[in-house]
Amino acid sequence: MNEELDSQLSAMFDDELPSQECELLARRLSRDGELKSRWGRYAIMGAVIRAERGVRLNAPLAGRVSAVLLAEPSLAAPRSVGLRRTGLRWWQPIVATGLAASVAAGCVLWLRAQSPGPALTAEVTARPAPLPDVVAVTAATGTNTPAGSYVVPARSKKPLALVPTTELANYVVAHSMFSSPVARRNLLSAFMSSEPAGAAEELPDAKAAGR
Amino acid sequence: MGADTSDLSLVHRVQRGDKGAFDALVLKYQHKLVKLVMRYVRNPAEAEDIAQEAFIKAYRALPQFRGDSAFYTWLYRIAINTAKNAVVSRDRSPVEYGLDRTSGDESYDMQNRLKDSETPEGLVLTDEIRSTVNAAIDALPEDLRTAIVLRELEGLSYEEIAAAMDCPVGTVRSRIFRARETIDRRLREVFEGGLGRAEELG
Repeated sequence: MNEELDSQLSAMFDDELPSQECELLARRLSRDGELKSRWGRYAIMGAVIRAERGVRLNAPLAGRVSAVLLAEPSLAAPRSVGLRRTGLRWWQPIVATGLAASVAAGCVLWLRAQSPGPALTAEVTARPAPLPDVVAVTAATGTNTPAGSYVVPARSKKPLALVPTTELANYVVAHSMFSSPVARRNLLSAFMSSEPAGAAEELPDAKAAGR
Repeated sequence: MGADTSDLSLVHRVQRGDKGAFDALVLKYQHKLVKLVMRYVRNPAEAEDIAQEAFIKAYRALPQFRGDSAFYTWLYRIAINTAKNAVVSRDRSPVEYGLDRTSGDESYDMQNRLKDSETPEGLVLTDEIRSTVNAAIDALPEDLRTAIVLRELEGLSYEEIAAAMDCPVGTVRSRIFRARETIDRRLREVFEGGLGRAEELG
């Protein structure tokens, strides 16, 4: 046994060894019988110096405790749980992905349930658009070409689910000079197709403006 | 140096399933614990039994030990509680610990246990260890003896010993180590002969 190791052992016994060195030496101490015996003798020296009378210095207490602990379940039980966790880790991403997908699917189904639905959409599509009830607005570009004019939906008093508000449409029209004609057309076409029939019927101001 | 560093290193190893590390903790604290328990019970053998029970309780409770206090403080609390419970239990069981020898040979007989724990051979060996250590300490150079006594008897840290002896901390560490090595050489001879003799005695 080298002197440096013995010196470390002595310092560790006194809690005077840096923690990193302690970690290494603790590992060795738990496995090395000779080192453990020396450690035990250090304890005996202390007991004698402190004159611990009545204490049997050769008592086989450590051996008895060790023998009892042999039958004890190891404190590695939490470790086995940890190993099990490690073992399960490979499918955790799959579960997480599945969970995320099911949540997303749930959201989609919920949104579809909240939307007007195919029946209403079909009804809207079948009906001719109430042209007199909408407002034709000339785009800010000033051109009168079909591509330059837009239809502003009438303000509905009934709240409509998932239908852009009139303010949004107005906003789009007012800022049309900053967007491309294709984008404007797409947005407003989508808006019109989702507008339920009769939504614009109750807008006298819009009628007046149309005239 | 953080107090209890070495104990925590060992505790962490035990918590990770290394029972060998717990042996080191038992070896380190067994005498202190028996001495502590002997404040509650007079019999060394009973004190050892209680200390053993305390160690086992500590081992089982070690997963809950978070290091909020020093390990030995935590261990001492367990030992004191175990000793108090043992005393209460003994007081409630007068037959078990009674001195009435007519109660039957099969009952637990403290007097016999007392005799077992203090066999002449055991006492001789303990005395031999004690006298060997004391003689080795007396033979130490003054600086080594002062360092080891300040550490073991007064419980001073290396830094405090360095201040007291007006020397660097590294010198204190070296002196204490050399003192222990000198004593250990003598002690090992006793153990190699004495423990063998004890084993023969069964």
